[in-house]
Amino acid sequence: MLPLLKKNPVDLVFSSITAIASFSVILFIIGILYVLISESSLAIGKFGVIKFLTSTDWDPVKESFGALTNIYGTVVTTFLSLVLAIPVAIGIAIFVTEISPNFLKGPIGAAIELLAAIPSIIYGMWGLFTLSPIMSAYIEPFLKKITANIPFVSILFQGTPMGIDILTASVILSIMIIPFTASIARDSFNLTPAVVKESAYAIGATKWEVIKNVVIPYSKLGVFGGIVLSLGRALGETMAVAFVLGNNHRITTSLLDAAATITVTLANEFAEADNDVYLSSLFYLALVLFVMSFITLAIAKFFLLKAERKYSR
Amino acid sequence: MEVQVVADTTEIEVKGLDFYYSGDIHALKNISLSIKKNNVTALIGPSGCGKTTLLRCFNRMHDLYPHNKYAGEIIFQGSNLLSRETDLINLRSRIGMVFQKPIPFPMTIFDNIAYGLKLRGISKKSELAEKVEKALHHAALWDEVKDKIHASAYELSGGQQQRLVIARALAVEPEVLLFDEPTSALDPISTAKIEELAGILKNDITIIIVTHNMQQAARISDWTGFMMLGELIEFDKTDKIFTAPSEKLTEEYITGRFG
Repeated sequence: MLPLLKKNPVDLVFSSITAIASFSVILFIIGILYVLISESSLAIGKFGVIKFLTSTDWDPVKESFGALTNIYGTVVTTFLSLVLAIPVAIGIAIFVTEISPNFLKGPIGAAIELLAAIPSIIYGMWGLFTLSPIMSAYIEPFLKKITANIPFVSILFQGTPMGIDILTASVILSIMIIPFTASIARDSFNLTPAVVKESAYAIGATKWEVIKNVVIPYSKLGVFGGIVLSLGRALGETMAVAFVLGNNHRITTSLLDAAATITVTLANEFAEADNDVYLSSLFYLALVLFVMSFITLAIAKFFLLKAERKYSR
Repeated sequence: MEVQVVADTTEIEVKGLDFYYSGDIHALKNISLSIKKNNVTALIGPSGCGKTTLLRCFNRMHDLYPHNKYAGEIIFQGSNLLSRETDLINLRSRIGMVFQKPIPFPMTIFDNIAYGLKLRGISKKSELAEKVEKALHHAALWDEVKDKIHASAYELSGGQQQRLVIARALAVEPEVLLFDEPTSALDPISTAKIEELAGILKNDITIIIVTHNMQQAARISDWTGFMMLGELIEFDKTDKIFTAPSEKLTEEYITGRFG
């Protein structure tokens, strides 16, 4: 007779291994969070939360540290890179899913994935040696000229075009996140049920009308989730930005000024952190980035899940 | 059954039609038949026989997907609609289609019908309102929705949604309407309403309907085509197909011996 109680030893070992593998992820997160908090406790005690987040000081000599300049740099470069990347990425996604002839879909898809596979240090090098000179010689003077007489907008393009600034960093970042946004937008577009598209075609809608009135409304939640995911990626990007952002702990209104992001500050300054408060403040800064990334990821997941539930029935 | 004089005008003539899905799947084999104006033509046959594939040739729905190939001719009002020069947008507003599941767009009842009209470039409010009302009357839905015309189309029942979709197709004033198993997702009462509607609509337009339900074909169609494995086995007056089919396969199918 076959025993009713299951005790297959191979099964047990197998399940245990997979379980351990899965729980280790949770362990890593807790471990990382623990280190960040314990290492930054000195700075937390000294500056508190509100003061650290709102202070623009970053003065190693006076041992006075605040995160605002870094948060500002991070938010501005991230936002600007999204503004530049989203239209291009959505254009790519529309072309690949709805417009491109089949023989082009493969190569374009592969190119997008290759773009995502380039290590960010290479983006940084390319940015420094190729993009930055182009920006300072042509693009930035041009932007300065055409915006010179537009009130408020001209503020964004004050100063000498150096090519090492917020604008260049944002352009590099946007190129880096385009493949990411494009592939998620493409997947969301593909979620649009074929029957709904066919219904629109069947009453004589053109391709553009179907995209505008059916595909985009259907997939906007998913696309939005994808954008937030890209935002998370842009927040955490270091190497590409480090080369072309400069390292300037001041809040500036001009996009042609150097700035600092959290990641760039962390990459540049650990070596020179010669006292405990400085070191602890850097950890504190990392903790801030951790929380920012966590929140963005949570928002992205929320929207992507909602999109999936809504349309996969 | 009296045969009307107009019943002899051919609306669509299919001549030696072959169709291949991508990967050279030969889905339709040498199909020839004529669709008579102001008649209901039913296409029946077991699953996978190609009846829906044939239906989707008439409005070139297959063109939405790559590598599908047609051969042969479908003559619609003097020209071959399978030709490369056919304007698919115009074709699809002259040969409309209603699908298996009712698929309203995520907008109001009014906007669902106005949508197709707006695509045709009609933007005057009074003209839109007039045409929307006319289409809803035509699809026998007006009385049920006239008080909530600006409510979401999703508030309607399945049967009402299907009539909304029919109204949407009718609004652009097509000459032919293709029905792809339009009642397979509906309850018997809604089904009866759609069938009754088909009988009325044929006074103005030509109807081609694909159905799984042989009784439905017998009830509402004037002509019936029986298909199997991509071939048109028999095409004749519905009365003849269901009372004295010439082909043995047809007889076996309609008497329920397979399918």
